[in-house]
Amino acid sequence: MALTEKYKELIELARVNNVMVTHNGKVLKLEGTVPTASIKDKMWDIYQRLDPQFRSNDVLMNVKAAVTEGGKVRVVTRESRLNIRKGPGTDQPIVGKAEKGEIITLISKSNDLWWLVRDVDGEEGYCYAQYLEPVQ
Amino acid sequence: MTAIALILALGMSVVSCKNVKDADVQNAAQEVVMADPALTGVVVTVQEQIATLTGIVEDEAAKMAAESAVAAVENVKSVVNQIQVIPPAPDYTELDAAINAALADALKDHANVTATVQDGVITLNGEIRERDLPTLMEKMNALNPVQIVNNLTVK
Repeated sequence: MALTEKYKELIELARVNNVMVTHNGKVLKLEGTVPTASIKDKMWDIYQRLDPQFRSNDVLMNVKAAVTEGGKVRVVTRESRLNIRKGPGTDQPIVGKAEKGEIITLISKSNDLWWLVRDVDGEEGYCYAQYLEPVQ
Repeated sequence: MTAIALILALGMSVVSCKNVKDADVQNAAQEVVMADPALTGVVVTVQEQIATLTGIVEDEAAKMAAESAVAAVENVKSVVNQIQVIPPAPDYTELDAAINAALADALKDHANVTATVQDGVITLNGEIRERDLPTLMEKMNALNPVQIVNNLTVK
């Protein structure tokens, strides 16, 4: 089945949210920024439903939820607390921890994978961006 | 008198035509081609003022550029364009290095997962709990690979 047919539902949601959709016959690529974290989550839910356990290796989805520097982000770890580190990297010393569900301030996302944040105690440091979700 | 002049003139023109040496035209044409860095793989041969282009270029535009450049060379009557267009293989060295550098951080919370990168393709091996799989996939996708090959055992 053609990729565009198989992932029709995902592509439709992507297009409505101005996510760029391209494909080379082998891999469908979705790239862009959506207005909210819930839209991003919905896209991942659809992807997972259409391709259980992500077995087909035929999609790349790099979709981010819009977030502004100075705005609030929620810690979305599964259960553990999120490390706040001195620099962008797991080799950097831990300077603080944020609780799961805690809402902290985004200072800068100049590094795509590691965002600079300030926690409720005023501690500043870097967190892995995948564990932070913008709060609307 | 006029007839002689005409014969002479004709004779001269025939001689001047024969004076065009294919080797000279070929050298001139090859020189024009060599001036363009995109056309370094192009070879020109000229026979009876017909230039034949062979060799390899990276794109269609270069092939056309070679043809029009040689067509404009003096004493080239026509051009036979036999250039092959072969696009260069993409270079993934930088992308692989960038992904490799970011993998340790991305895999930190997934101790039983290993990942390798080649030509921009991330291959995942090992095992993972089903509930952690979307998190891992999201992290891998954020590294902007060309493809993700998922060989994970899902528990």
